[in-house]
Amino acid sequence: MKDEFINKKVEDAMKSLDGVQGANPLPFLFTRLEARMQNDRNVWSKLSSFVARPIMVFACVCFVLIINVMVIFLSNNSDRITAQQGSELATADEYSQVSQVSYNLYDLENNKP
Amino acid sequence: MIETELIELLKQKDRAAFKNIVDTWQDMVYNTAISILQNAEDAEDVTQETFIQVFESVSAFKGESKFSTWVYRITVSKAMDHIRKKKRKKRFAFIQSLYGKNDKPLIDPPDFFHPGVRMENKENAAVLFKAMEQLPPNQKTAFVLNKVEGLSYIEIAEVMEISDSAVDALLHRAKANLKKILKEYYAALNKN
Repeated sequence: MKDEFINKKVEDAMKSLDGVQGANPLPFLFTRLEARMQNDRNVWSKLSSFVARPIMVFACVCFVLIINVMVIFLSNNSDRITAQQGSELATADEYSQVSQVSYNLYDLENNKP
Repeated sequence: MIETELIELLKQKDRAAFKNIVDTWQDMVYNTAISILQNAEDAEDVTQETFIQVFESVSAFKGESKFSTWVYRITVSKAMDHIRKKKRKKRFAFIQSLYGKNDKPLIDPPDFFHPGVRMENKENAAVLFKAMEQLPPNQKTAFVLNKVEGLSYIEIAEVMEISDSAVDALLHRAKANLKKILKEYYAALNKN
């Protein structure tokens, strides 16, 4: 009985959209649409005129130049560091070879009967 | 004026042609939007966005499908975008509320009453619309286009850019899911 009632309610709900009429927007949609498009256009034109101001262009150019100078400076610095590190490594390598040789000589001397 | 002529004029950004197109398709767009979004203000917003998109990208319309199909496609896509945006805002508001930055309570909107539903079906339709909220987006879209807009399977397939059999499967799953949700709802209601 309970299931029957629930099934009936479900079927009624599923059928509730049968013969549904279309919903209509509020009148004068086109007028509101035109106003919105005009407003959107105004926003873009305001944004473009702001970006195109000489001070903005000058600031952008300066910013790009500063970034360029920084990149060049940093890359030069890192080149110098790698060169210095390279020479230090070479010295260490040579030193270990020398010590290895001297150690071998010592061993040879010790092994003499 | 013939549809093709209107479209050609719209491509030249003719205002009268645009007005004619808006007047012709506004009910279809609004009805689809309100059925998916279940909110009159959001539907108005999406309707406007749809026509702006139609105006701006009409040159991309090659006439491979019917103009109404193309407009339906834009409407559905805009409505889905709107739902996603709203969910994002809701999540953000929830996070803000956790940090005490947003004191606005997060309240679910009240029951939606579709203006085109017969008076005797209003209550049942409100329950059905509430259940539709829980469907996955593609099932909801197919169901709305079929039940509210009265589109055939072939037309829905063209709008959603899927096969007829996929539409059939989507609608079958949508109906099964809705019945399950409604059954649980009425069972819980009967218990109380």
